[in-house]
Amino acid sequence: MSEALQSRLGEAGISCRVEQRDRLAIVISEAPISRDDRLLMIQMARGEGFTHVAIELDPDGAPLPGD
Amino acid sequence: MESTAIATPTRHKETRLSDWLHERRTVLVGYSGGADSTYLTVIAREILGRDAVLAVLGRSASVPAEQARRAEAMAADHDIDLRVVDSGELADPRYAANPVNRCYFCKSVLWEVLTPIAREHGFQTVIDGTNADDVSEYRPGALAAREHGIESPLAVVGLTKAEIRLLSRERGLATWSQPSAPCLASRIPYGLSVTTERLSQIERAEQSLRDLGIAGDLRVRHHGDLARIELDPGVIDEWLEPRNSRRMVEAVRAAGFQRVTLDLRGFRSGSLNVLEGVVAA
Repeated sequence: MSEALQSRLGEAGISCRVEQRDRLAIVISEAPISRDDRLLMIQMARGEGFTHVAIELDPDGAPLPGD
Repeated sequence: MESTAIATPTRHKETRLSDWLHERRTVLVGYSGGADSTYLTVIAREILGRDAVLAVLGRSASVPAEQARRAEAMAADHDIDLRVVDSGELADPRYAANPVNRCYFCKSVLWEVLTPIAREHGFQTVIDGTNADDVSEYRPGALAAREHGIESPLAVVGLTKAEIRLLSRERGLATWSQPSAPCLASRIPYGLSVTTERLSQIERAEQSLRDLGIAGDLRVRHHGDLARIELDPGVIDEWLEPRNSRRMVEAVRAAGFQRVTLDLRGFRSGSLNVLEGVVAA
């Protein structure tokens, strides 16, 4: 599920990794996401069978994009 | 605040509630300080008088300290006889194991504490704040209430959450607009044990996020090393901005989580029931 979602997001221009915990998708992206990105992620995650999708904030403790 | 905002059927339900309470004469209320049990307790106090109503608040690590403080203040403001007891559910390994029917064990323990108090002090009936909406939801705690003979007058007369909020607003109860506040254990996925440490992490994280100025519905779901924040959908994009994200990360990491995530759909009541397939998505 996570690979399929990651692939679909990549095709849509959202470069990220996706980690799966049960039916929760955790999206790890170095770039900030827009409202449109967010809505697309929700839609695609649902399409891949996830009930929840969350984005990791400050992955690896790195400075956030835009800081 | 205008009484004209209350529809006639709702008025009738409140009248039936008053009649129902009159018939019972004395009641012990399982009180949490939430919108439902506060409204019920205040009505009972008005109808039956102070000596005929005892509110009992169960305290444990699964109840945020701030919530308990507000509940005690509300009872004092309305001259309600309040007793605070240790509900002790964390000592029950069946509860701590966090099965899908965890609420059944929690409520069983609570009612086992409260019903002897009612008998000891001569209260005829033990009641809770279950409302008409609750009846149709997945609530294993309701079984424990039935097994202990607990009655739910708000549900009996058909008062819904929305109606209780309207009637509470009319009475000037601060709880009328208070977001629902289920216990902290509801933030832990089934199967991950409920511990004092995890509950404390959740409580600290949510309080820290409140301190940042986040209002409305807010949950920090505990996924072990990872926290998943749920906010009102209308404010998600604002809090996704890098500066705000940074503040949330700092707040939640300080509570002991290694990783911090923000749910992209936002707050959903019973979110973990959906995740675990207990209820439909």
